[in-house]
Amino acid sequence: MGGTSAKAMTTARTHLRSHQCVFTARDLAAIAGAPLGVLLLLAALFHLAAAAGWLPAPRPTLDMDRTLLIHQADSSRSRLDAAVILVGDSSCLMDVSAPDLTRLLGQSVLNLGLLSYLDLPSFGILVRNYAHANPARLETVVVLLHPESLRLQAPSAYHRAQLEDYLSGRDARATGGIGGRLQTALGANLARGRLVARLIPTPLSGVYGRFYGFTHDFSRWLEAHRGSAIDPQRFDRARAQGNAEYRLAQRLESESRLLRQCVPSGVRLVVGLTPVPRSFVGADHDATCGRILEQWAKWLKADAVLAGLPASMPDELFASVTHLTAEGQTLFTQRLAAELQTAVQP
Amino acid sequence: MLFNSVVFLQFFGAFLLLYYLARNNLVARNVLIVLASYLFYGWWDYRFLSLLVFSSLLDYGVARALDRCAIPGHRKLWLALSLATSLGLLGFFKYCNFFIDSAAVLLTQLGLHVEPRTLNIVLPVGISFYTFQTMSYTLDVYRRTMPATRDLLGFLAYVAFFPQLVAGPIERASRLLPQFSQTRVITRQRLIEGVWLMIWGMFKKVVVADNLAPLVEMVFDHPAPAGPMVILGTVAFAFQIYGDFSGYSDIARGLASVLGFELMLNFNLPYAATSPRDFWRRWHISLSTWLRDYLYIALGGNRRGVWRTRFNLLATMLLGGLWHGAAWSFVLWGLWHGLGLVLTRPAQSHAPAAGPRGRLLRWAATMLFVLYGWLLFRAGSFAHIVDLTSALACWEWPAWGRSYLMNLMTFTLPLALAQLGQARAGDLMAPARWPASSRALLQGILLLAIVVFWQKEAAPFIYFQF
Repeated sequence: MGGTSAKAMTTARTHLRSHQCVFTARDLAAIAGAPLGVLLLLAALFHLAAAAGWLPAPRPTLDMDRTLLIHQADSSRSRLDAAVILVGDSSCLMDVSAPDLTRLLGQSVLNLGLLSYLDLPSFGILVRNYAHANPARLETVVVLLHPESLRLQAPSAYHRAQLEDYLSGRDARATGGIGGRLQTALGANLARGRLVARLIPTPLSGVYGRFYGFTHDFSRWLEAHRGSAIDPQRFDRARAQGNAEYRLAQRLESESRLLRQCVPSGVRLVVGLTPVPRSFVGADHDATCGRILEQWAKWLKADAVLAGLPASMPDELFASVTHLTAEGQTLFTQRLAAELQTAVQP
Repeated sequence: MLFNSVVFLQFFGAFLLLYYLARNNLVARNVLIVLASYLFYGWWDYRFLSLLVFSSLLDYGVARALDRCAIPGHRKLWLALSLATSLGLLGFFKYCNFFIDSAAVLLTQLGLHVEPRTLNIVLPVGISFYTFQTMSYTLDVYRRTMPATRDLLGFLAYVAFFPQLVAGPIERASRLLPQFSQTRVITRQRLIEGVWLMIWGMFKKVVVADNLAPLVEMVFDHPAPAGPMVILGTVAFAFQIYGDFSGYSDIARGLASVLGFELMLNFNLPYAATSPRDFWRRWHISLSTWLRDYLYIALGGNRRGVWRTRFNLLATMLLGGLWHGAAWSFVLWGLWHGLGLVLTRPAQSHAPAAGPRGRLLRWAATMLFVLYGWLLFRAGSFAHIVDLTSALACWEWPAWGRSYLMNLMTFTLPLALAQLGQARAGDLMAPARWPASSRALLQGILLLAIVVFWQKEAAPFIYFQF
């Protein structure tokens, strides 16, 4: 009896309609379509305003990396008084204090250090821009790389594109699959890169956020420290990964030629390596670094080699495998100043 | 699968198409809802689908037995089986390590050295929500406030209904279950409200909550934050958790609405509350009413004298805090709110109606109370609570304080102003009643903001972890 009743109920439900739409197709178009229409209209207006030059130029300082790239790119194109410029990866950025070096050398120094994700030709672009913006000012270009960067097989296409797009005044390209392409088509990158990044500072993540704060604060820090930054982390040997088998990636041979071409004639090109935590490397590290530096200097046709820079330093002076702490930065800057004074003696 | 992900857009688009095709057959619709909901849930981790199905089948069976059984002792046994299984699963997955750790700490303090072995347990997403939902059904059938359903398919759909499966609202069977055995009528107004709720909820999540999250982390992950930053960080968290959770609830209600279903209101302008009691009438309403109906009243409510009422309030809120997560900071948060309810209860029952200034003062006092509660909630440990509270005495302003304040204002003001507008209009759905052109313009602007601030890696909703 119960089974029959249940069966009857199921049959009854089968004949019930799922749902009934008490609206017309026109209602649906108005309710769901109108907001989408407004969105498309606003997106079209954004594209139109960008094309017509009604919006500010792209300046997508939306994270730490891009803030750095944009700041250094802007510095390289500004009229400044620096006779010595530093280019290189993030170890160049974090391991050298440009204000200290200015004081120690008695010459104005500008740090244009970038990231290891970028290649030597990208550093060269900054050198060329600086020389172009400050004719007859530049005397010495110092290239500093960390041994980790020398063995990298390929630079990051994303970071290279970000730098190139900014320097050429283009908006950032779409990234991130369907969602990213859709966002770009709807003008999100225009809004973010031209308006949001200028108006709303973005918080930096983790320990960098606690030290620098936001993108705008980081930009101000770089401005106040002539392009140098500090890594606020603490090196933890137990958590450090990787190995210390450093070598020179073959790609650097051709890249070195391109960088050399960007250095104006009459300007000295000096090359050096930044240090590695002592516990991270073997006994032959100094010799290895010496050989690497010699070969790289040949490829670069360097005018001087900073062979006396320390290849390793005590662990407690490091924030990470590749960056020194503020204290380490002070010591390394002193060593660099001494080396430079010797190396660039006329 | 997260509402704020491209894969969910694709999923829901496909679901709508199939839903339309199933319009003439209620069983087909329910089959579709169950399968889609399982796909939605299994997308996260298919292994835990078995838990969801097991919970559903157990409570379906127990409720049928309860319905048929007239012997009180047997009925109690059936209920005990259901509650023990549901709470046992919840206890194992959510609280096992917490109890092991806490016991170890206690034994260590008693001088007994133990080395606890915690288990490597993954918390199934949404387990607290669907467990409370199935428990309420069994309890209602036990109390004979509703009959057990014979419709297994409808019951499976009720437990797993994807819009509200992983973070509520915790729907009562008496409200939602019958909707699965009825033809749902989708009116023009329901469609308008559904679309509005989805867009507004997404705005609250993607634009407000996700942009406040890094501000909150800057303060709460800081080893030594300054006092002003603790205050601003706590305000940021208050808006983040509200934007995140009420945003989820709005999207859930909106999705259900366009499918013709009605889910309960989960948030009613909680930051307009003028007392702790008022706050709990406005915040996570589906949980607070669940706790009231199945715990507070079951403990005796306010019928057994003043002291017993106080105890019942404290016990209810303490367990409510523990429901949020296996940590003593949640227990403390629950206790804090319990104390607030206990201490303000006599004042409320004898207080004359307040004028505008009095209401403002009450609101300010309530907000201070709620904000300190959020500090307890977010801190994560006793030691951190002490650090954050001590930091309130240190009035240094960090170099990046201005940027922080600017960010906070940018992402909280739109929500605060919208809430103020809703409060003044006395209508949470006010924009859904605007003229079509104004509504479309507002929704288009909100959509643009969502597109601009949409993150490549969709940030999970906070309440998924509970």
